[in-house]
Amino acid sequence: MFRLPGRVIAGSLVLCLTVAACGNSTKSTSSTTTAPPGKTGSAGGAEHRDEFVKSSGVPGVSDKEIGFAVIGTKTNNPLGSCILDCYLDGIEAYFAFRNSEGGIYGRDLKVSEVLDDELSQNQQRSLDVISSDKSFGAFQATLLATGWGDLDQAGVPTYAWGINATEAANRSNIFPSLVVRCDDCPNPVVPYVAQERGASRAASVGYGVSENSKVCTKTVAEAFDKYEGDSGVKLAYTNDNLDYGLPNGIGPEVTAMKQAKVDFISTCIDLNGMKTLAQELRRQGMDDVVLYHPNTYDQAFVKAAGTLFEGDVVSVQFRPFEADAEGTALEDFLKWMDKQGSEPTELAMVGWINATLAFDGLLAAGPEFDRAQVVAATNAFKDFTAGGLLEPIDWGVAHTPYTAADPSPKTRNCGAFVIVEKGKFVPMSSPSKPWLCWKDGKNVDFTPTPTSFE
Amino acid sequence: MIFASSIGEDLLRGVLQGTPPGTVYGLIAIGFVLAYKTSGVFNLAFGAQAYVSAAMYFQATNAWGWSNLWAFVLSVVILAPALGLTLEWLIFRHLPTDSSLAKLVIAIGLSVALPNLFELIVGFEPVAGRTPQGLLPDGATVFYDPFGVYAFSRDELTAMALAVVSVAALTALFRFTAIGLRMRAVVESPRMTELNGIRADRVSAFSWALSSLFAGLAGVLIAPRFNTLAAPDFFNLVVVAVAAAAVGRLVSLPWALIGGLGLGILIALVNTFLPDLARDHTWLAPIQDNITAAMPFVVLFGLVTMWPALRTTPEQSDPLSGVDPPPPVPAALTRSRLLTRMTQIFAVCFFAVGSYVVLTQADASWMFLVTQSVILSTIFLSITIITGFAGQISLCQGAIAAIGGFTVFQLFDRFGVPVLGGALIGALIAGAVSALLSLPLVRLGRVWVAIATLAFAAFFDAVVVKLPFVGGGGTSLLQGTRVPRPVVGPWDLADDSKFLILAVVVFVVAATAVSQIRVGTVGRTLRALRGSEVAAQSIGISPTRARVVAFAISGFLAGLGGAMLSIQQQNVNYSSNFAPFAALFWLVLVVSLGARSVEGAAYAGAGYALMDGIIFKGAFVGWILRSPERIPSFFPISPKWRFVLFGLSTISFARHPEGLVENGKRKAHARVEKLLARRRTSTRTELEESVA
Repeated sequence: MFRLPGRVIAGSLVLCLTVAACGNSTKSTSSTTTAPPGKTGSAGGAEHRDEFVKSSGVPGVSDKEIGFAVIGTKTNNPLGSCILDCYLDGIEAYFAFRNSEGGIYGRDLKVSEVLDDELSQNQQRSLDVISSDKSFGAFQATLLATGWGDLDQAGVPTYAWGINATEAANRSNIFPSLVVRCDDCPNPVVPYVAQERGASRAASVGYGVSENSKVCTKTVAEAFDKYEGDSGVKLAYTNDNLDYGLPNGIGPEVTAMKQAKVDFISTCIDLNGMKTLAQELRRQGMDDVVLYHPNTYDQAFVKAAGTLFEGDVVSVQFRPFEADAEGTALEDFLKWMDKQGSEPTELAMVGWINATLAFDGLLAAGPEFDRAQVVAATNAFKDFTAGGLLEPIDWGVAHTPYTAADPSPKTRNCGAFVIVEKGKFVPMSSPSKPWLCWKDGKNVDFTPTPTSFE
Repeated sequence: MIFASSIGEDLLRGVLQGTPPGTVYGLIAIGFVLAYKTSGVFNLAFGAQAYVSAAMYFQATNAWGWSNLWAFVLSVVILAPALGLTLEWLIFRHLPTDSSLAKLVIAIGLSVALPNLFELIVGFEPVAGRTPQGLLPDGATVFYDPFGVYAFSRDELTAMALAVVSVAALTALFRFTAIGLRMRAVVESPRMTELNGIRADRVSAFSWALSSLFAGLAGVLIAPRFNTLAAPDFFNLVVVAVAAAAVGRLVSLPWALIGGLGLGILIALVNTFLPDLARDHTWLAPIQDNITAAMPFVVLFGLVTMWPALRTTPEQSDPLSGVDPPPPVPAALTRSRLLTRMTQIFAVCFFAVGSYVVLTQADASWMFLVTQSVILSTIFLSITIITGFAGQISLCQGAIAAIGGFTVFQLFDRFGVPVLGGALIGALIAGAVSALLSLPLVRLGRVWVAIATLAFAAFFDAVVVKLPFVGGGGTSLLQGTRVPRPVVGPWDLADDSKFLILAVVVFVVAATAVSQIRVGTVGRTLRALRGSEVAAQSIGISPTRARVVAFAISGFLAGLGGAMLSIQQQNVNYSSNFAPFAALFWLVLVVSLGARSVEGAAYAGAGYALMDGIIFKGAFVGWILRSPERIPSFFPISPKWRFVLFGLSTISFARHPEGLVENGKRKAHARVEKLLARRRTSTRTELEESVA
């Protein structure tokens, strides 16, 4: 109804992204299988994919189609990045891919409604989906997630961009693209990246306006301390109190980092803030300092920045586009995005991953599916990787968060990283094994294992 | 010695690092002062005007490939003054000169409408990472280091130079030219100026063109600081820069620039020295954690409440306003008994039919919106009290309402207190906070009360929400600020229709109380104060006491509504519901529709929650066509048009300051009375004829 420019509105929510970058990911098993798990109580599985069973009373399901609503932020997006349109591209590409194979259970997958939540109307748009009964499930790529509670209560399978971990917690009908179960568990990811980039003195910075950003900054700082012996990288500066949007610049903070001889900066800030930071580093003659970006996997953005980000490391939530695609769903993604005439973007990939889970859930539930069966079947997935695009997710436990105080944390982590070289992204590890994985346990080995989930 | 030189160098570097952002604050503050001096408007739309020129410049250089010079001519020399002239011609010329409330409300409405209107017309969309160019080539990449301590970019030096030149030129204009004097005279009283043979409308138009030109210049100079050019960032800067304008008491251009520079430098120095100091002195850590981000708002609130000079700053007032006709009597007091009865019967029927339709036909989505509209109406009653009755402008009603919501969340989360009990406690706390807040404000003029409450809202947004005992802090990361629906005896209020009934009961009780207050001692006291504070004091009325009571009641209602909204949505949802800008929009809506009556609040609640679905999404057309499938394809109307229409609705406020509802009622009553009179006449004639 109105434009929401407030610092918290833009800041605290967008910055949920940083949690994804800093927190521990879900527990996973050693399996890397990407196939649907087969029967989960009903007659599910790939062998039943072509069986048509007439269904009545299941919202969004007709004899010809299974409809899904897509809700995204377009109007009032304070980031200026492509969210709804790009996300929709990925979903439609996936649906086109599956429909070209004959769809599922004799029906095509279809986007039944597209709704712009205008940043502040997520709850209203979610209720619209519930009320209209036109959609079997919902896809959500929004900066605020105020409607997830309603969708969960209504039992609507909801597949979402994984930046709102708090709103996804303990809601078994909500399936984010990225699962963050522990916000405050220090892990070796960032110290390892710093070591790999030849750093010796690190900084951790984040915004004060967002609790997520503050926790992220603190957790990374703790990780540097914890793994200093392994990495040889010392924490030299930390600041979890930057003003959102850096309206007053970041001169004094960069000066302090310069005086502390920092050569690696881990950030828990948004992409616009990253650019401001990089500009200030250049102004103060610190161009060679490596930045660790949690939210900057955006080729157009990096290209527009010229050489500002040269040599920096960018964390990627999925198998990077620059990794080997063969044998994984990345191959299909790139092919179908091209066929649809769409650009492969981060949000498009999120849409593709969400759509993959929706399809796999339907397949596992069997031809006599309904919402509850699809949700139950999806939550039975032990190692969902969306065809090698993600590190394995165990949906049986993924909805339950825990804290660093948990006596038996499941701290297995995998991360995929790219380096900016001449304005382009290059995988940090082997293109055939783009994931770096650390094993389970409270005291994990510092050295990761290059991995591929295929 | 080394230590001393290090501190000296740090100090100099801090000063230099604070200068570029300080210049930005200074530019906006100069714009504020210029607008206030030349038009009497506390122009919260300054950021929107600056954004329009900046976006036009960006569009011309980046999308259309124009040279910087021609883009500057288009965006600053042509577009900006044209915009100012249009606003003056369409809106501000028609406003009574002493109507600070009207001017403020319209400025807020414009701050919503202008950016969206521009984006719709030009097809401009903010794109992440596309940093706007400055006026000079390579403005962001060429640096100069005059002191060998900290380098300035060419863009920053250009902004600094133009800020100083602007202050000098504008000061000279006001001090040494006839037009400068005339502009100030017209602000005070156009009618009196015209008595001296001066064309007030021309002078006023020149004033608006000048202040808009400056807004455009400031926008283009500021834009390179943003890596995504988006309107909200300009509004945020405006809120910060108000502190700098306050240093200049809204009248001094040089002091506004000095205030802006001082603010930028103060923040830079604090960020330079405080982290080290807080490491050595732990008592400083909470200040570093909480106050740094909110420094401009703390400075602003401190200035407004503690600087005696601001209390003595005269408000703009027209010496000839005494000859203006008094505001019209409320329509309800002038209608006939028959019409009153008919209106009451219609209202009861409408309410009964509406309730029946909603409770039996509405789906979850409509039920949510209707309930939201009822609860918002309760919150809006707080604006009826504070603005409609007390004549004060509070821009922090969102924060006060949020206190109610957060109280419910905290009491339930920590102590398991039932949410309805929590709502009552939340309302009491909100009332107490509101009353406390009012204590240092009661002696201030309206504009300063508005500024101080805006500072409080921004402070609440930047600091208070983060506190663990308010927003939940780290614990909220796991679950957010979720609030359950209660069960009251046999009624499970998780059922939306039952919760709607509760919301209606709460609103009816609140509305009845507000109606009683209006006709009771408190209402009469506040009315007396609005009429003449001195006269009211002469008969023993204490303005302080009356206003504190008004703030307390208003806070109670806002807190109660905020708590109910959180229970309805099962989450406090601070960012969606209570952020400062949302609350500004509340004020615009209530005042536009009618701040002096309960109906105004009710209509505003309905407009805020329901108009989107009914009108803009095409539901009304669908109902008429008896099928949602038949809704024309141009629905839903772009959300941006909604912002434009809501924002520009304030234009009507210029002509009908009593509010659209009251104006509509008066016209409708006149029409019906005329009809009834004609009917009575014809009946009498028929009777006479039949008798004859």
